[in-house]
Amino acid sequence: MKGYVWAVGATAACTLAGLAMRGRFDLVNIAMVYLLAVVVVALRFSRGAAIAVTVLCVAAFDFLFVPPAGAFTVDDLQYLLTFAIMLAVGLVISGLMQTVRRRAKEQAQVEAEAETERMRSALLASISHDLRTPLTVLAGASSTLARGDALPLEERKQLARSIYEQSRELSEQVAKVLDMTRLEAGAIALQRDWDSLADIAGAVLRRLGERLAAHRVVVDLPPDLPLLRVDATLLEQALANLLENAARHTPTGTVVQLRARRDGGELVVSVEDHGPGLPEHDVERVFEKFQRATSEGAVRGIGLGLAICRAIVRLHGGRIWAERVPGGGTAFRFTLPLEAPPAMPAEQAAA
Amino acid sequence: MTTILVVEDEPEIRRFLRSSLGAEGYRVVESATARRGAIDAGTHKPDLAIVDLALPDLDGRELIRQIREWSSMPIVVLSARTQERVKVEALDAGADDYITKPFGVGELLARVRVALRHASRAAGGMPVLQLGAVTIDLQKRIVRRDGAVVHLTALEFRLLNCLAQHLGMVVTHHQLLREVWGPTHVGQTHYLRIYMKQLRDKLEDDPVQPKYLLTETGIGYRLLADEAG
Repeated sequence: MKGYVWAVGATAACTLAGLAMRGRFDLVNIAMVYLLAVVVVALRFSRGAAIAVTVLCVAAFDFLFVPPAGAFTVDDLQYLLTFAIMLAVGLVISGLMQTVRRRAKEQAQVEAEAETERMRSALLASISHDLRTPLTVLAGASSTLARGDALPLEERKQLARSIYEQSRELSEQVAKVLDMTRLEAGAIALQRDWDSLADIAGAVLRRLGERLAAHRVVVDLPPDLPLLRVDATLLEQALANLLENAARHTPTGTVVQLRARRDGGELVVSVEDHGPGLPEHDVERVFEKFQRATSEGAVRGIGLGLAICRAIVRLHGGRIWAERVPGGGTAFRFTLPLEAPPAMPAEQAAA
Repeated sequence: MTTILVVEDEPEIRRFLRSSLGAEGYRVVESATARRGAIDAGTHKPDLAIVDLALPDLDGRELIRQIREWSSMPIVVLSARTQERVKVEALDAGADDYITKPFGVGELLARVRVALRHASRAAGGMPVLQLGAVTIDLQKRIVRRDGAVVHLTALEFRLLNCLAQHLGMVVTHHQLLREVWGPTHVGQTHYLRIYMKQLRDKLEDDPVQPKYLLTETGIGYRLLADEAG
């Protein structure tokens, strides 16, 4: 619509300019002024507007300037060539512009798709490796069991146990993919409530149980930590991912520390391990999706745990980072903003 | 014979529930829909119901409300991990406990046993609970640790008692606040955090890694006791 307004406006402006030029300039130069209007409108607006401005300009030029003035008839037939050229210029330019605009749009789309594609292929690569292993065990062990009871009881039990363990593993991985997808889609609204870090930490340690059993977990939470207003389920997930990550990447028997301290208006929570430590260039990268420390080979996991942590901490208005600990090991730290806790009425002394 | 009603729409899940519960000596009644489940609950008078929260015809929560209108049979819900809210609502609607899919049969059987025991105990007297070195006599309102009396405030005892009434089962924040502080305080979750910490400081060996007063993140708390109780 805007293009058509411009078409009319540009024609009117050229007509005024043409009228001012009449007598002092050749008709050809007045035609050039109209051509300018055609070029400008065709460059900036739609094909329809380009055709409109061309027709308007030709009509105005013919009616007002080409002898006999005041009529659409043309005495000198060479002006028909002028009209044809104006029309051609308008169409060619608007056609070119249409192509250019379409290419730019396609280019932006291609770039966005390339990013999505890169993510998708990384996801597929990790899925095919890390999900296929448990699936292979599941298919193999269960079909072995289904063949009959030629196997000794103890062996059958062992197969059944590994089916159970691998299905738990699979379920964890799938849950991580779902969590990440939901966090990225913004589909998670924080369910904030007053909670204590000690409560959440206790639940996490219990839930991880077996998976931390090979490490010495040291919990150092000051007894007077203030309450937090957080989404406890998500925070539990973030803590679980950090602890699991520490256990997964450090030798058995080493210490994993969970600490927290108040620092001004925020709480700083750390999970420190005493493993080989992250290479310097991985300190930033570890929070990216599907990234794993460059040094690791056969370590399981699809590289979503820390990305999920980062998303959860950011949703809470906190920061998360990794640090190399002097003497070996890595510290993952995150902050949570503190709010003034609500009042707690003192209880009457019990009878 | 103890009868268990299983309301679950997935036939494969019903199949393994049937064989594992059957192997434990329970009689299993299966319903594939909530409407069918409501009817079976009335006709078979089961001792316990296992209800999936994602049923095709009716919300599992609605089925729980319907059953609760006429029965206090224990109800254990099956829920997906992403259904936190729904799970809490199901518990507040009258379900006694929950288990998250996927689950091992061991976990499920433990939940079922605790819920059945709770139902049979409801008729009997109040037990004495043993939590490691701590003994709780709910009737005499005396708590001892290594023989020495532990002083609990009135609210601490009420909180402990409320959890003990549902021994082994989860009790939601909402339920605890309503029963201990009253219906006008159900939003004051911070009361719970503070009093649970006080209770743990008094009763647990390591209050940060409790063995008896357990946190169910985002849901509530669960009290465990040694078998003797």
